[in-house]
Amino acid sequence: MTPEIATRQRWMGVLARAGDELARYEAELKDTDYQLVRAPEIGMTLVRGRMGGTGAAFNLGEMTVTRCVVRLGDGRTGYSYVAGRDKRHAELAALADAHLQGRDQAHWQAQVIAPLASIQAARRAAQDAETASSKVEFFTLVRGED
Amino acid sequence: MSADLLHPAFNDQVLDSQRVFRAALKALAEPGLTQPLIPVQALEPLAPASYALCLSLLDGDTRLWLAPAFDTPTVRANLAFHCGCPIVDERESADFALLGVQELVDLSGFFTGSERFPDQSCTLLVQLDALGDGAALSWSGPGILGQREVSLPVPAAFWQQRAARNDFPRGLDLFFAADQSLIGLPRSTRIAVSIEEVA
Repeated sequence: MTPEIATRQRWMGVLARAGDELARYEAELKDTDYQLVRAPEIGMTLVRGRMGGTGAAFNLGEMTVTRCVVRLGDGRTGYSYVAGRDKRHAELAALADAHLQGRDQAHWQAQVIAPLASIQAARRAAQDAETASSKVEFFTLVRGED
Repeated sequence: MSADLLHPAFNDQVLDSQRVFRAALKALAEPGLTQPLIPVQALEPLAPASYALCLSLLDGDTRLWLAPAFDTPTVRANLAFHCGCPIVDERESADFALLGVQELVDLSGFFTGSERFPDQSCTLLVQLDALGDGAALSWSGPGILGQREVSLPVPAAFWQQRAARNDFPRGLDLFFAADQSLIGLPRSTRIAVSIEEVA
C-alpha cells in the first residue's frame, strides 16, 4: 500500500466517523464550485467477518450505508461512504475528501482532520477506560494444580 | 480509471431512469413513433438520448459492446461508474450494443436469442444524427394501425442485414436515438418500401 493511500484511508475514516461534528465546517467546505456526480444515496452493505480473525468468512449482517461523490470545479472528485442514513454527513465528507486531495491538503488536515481525530481519540479512550473498569478476574476457575 | 473524467448523470436517479425506461417501452410498443426523452446532459461522443438509454437500461448484469467510435476513456469511465456494466470485446457475448450509423451495414455476431429464450437476444442502441431525412419506408406489424411512414437515415444495407437475422421469434430489437428523442424498431415490425417510392 502506498503512503498516499494510507493517508487517504486515515482521513476518510476520520470523516466517516465524524457524524454531526462535520457540520461545523459546512460553510467552509461548501465555499467552492462543485456538483454532485452521485447525489447522496442510502443503501445496504453486507458486513462479513471471521471468527477470531481466521477461518471462513461468515455473513455478520447488513448495515445501512450512505454514499456520495462530488466533483469540484477543477475536476477533482471526492468520495464518501458513511454508516447510517445521514445524507448531509455523506455530502460533507465527500467534499472534505475532494478538498484534501488538492494543493491545500496541509490546511485541511490541520483545520478539519486533526481536531476531529483528537475528538474521536478522546471518545475512544474514555470508552476504553469505562470498559476496563468493568473487567472481572476469574480466580476460582483455575483447576487441576494438585 | 481516471476520476476526473466523471460527470453527473440523471438529476433524480430513480425517477429519471424510470421516465426513460417508460419512453423506451413506448418506443417498442409503438414502432416508428418518435418518443421525446427528458433532457440529459450529453456525454461526448454520446448524444443525450443514447446516454439516457444507457443510464436507464444498463447495470451490472448487462454486458455492453461499444462501437469503436464510442469507445473512449470518458464513456468507459462514466458507464463503469454510473451503470457498472461490463464492457465486452466480442459481439457474441453482448446483451446490449451501442452502435453508430457506420456499424449498421454489418450486424454479424450479435446474439439473436434462442428458440427457447428469444428474449436473450442483443438489443442494439443506434445513435443517429437525426431521426428523419432518410428514405421513407412503410412499417407495419404489432403496435401499428395499418401502416406507418418512417424515414430513418440509415443505409439500405441495414435493412438486408436486419432481415437476414429476423427468424421469428429470434431477431434483433433496435432503438434509434438522436439528440433527445427515440424510435423503437422491434423484431416484429415488417418493413416495406414506401408506396410513394414505388409509384
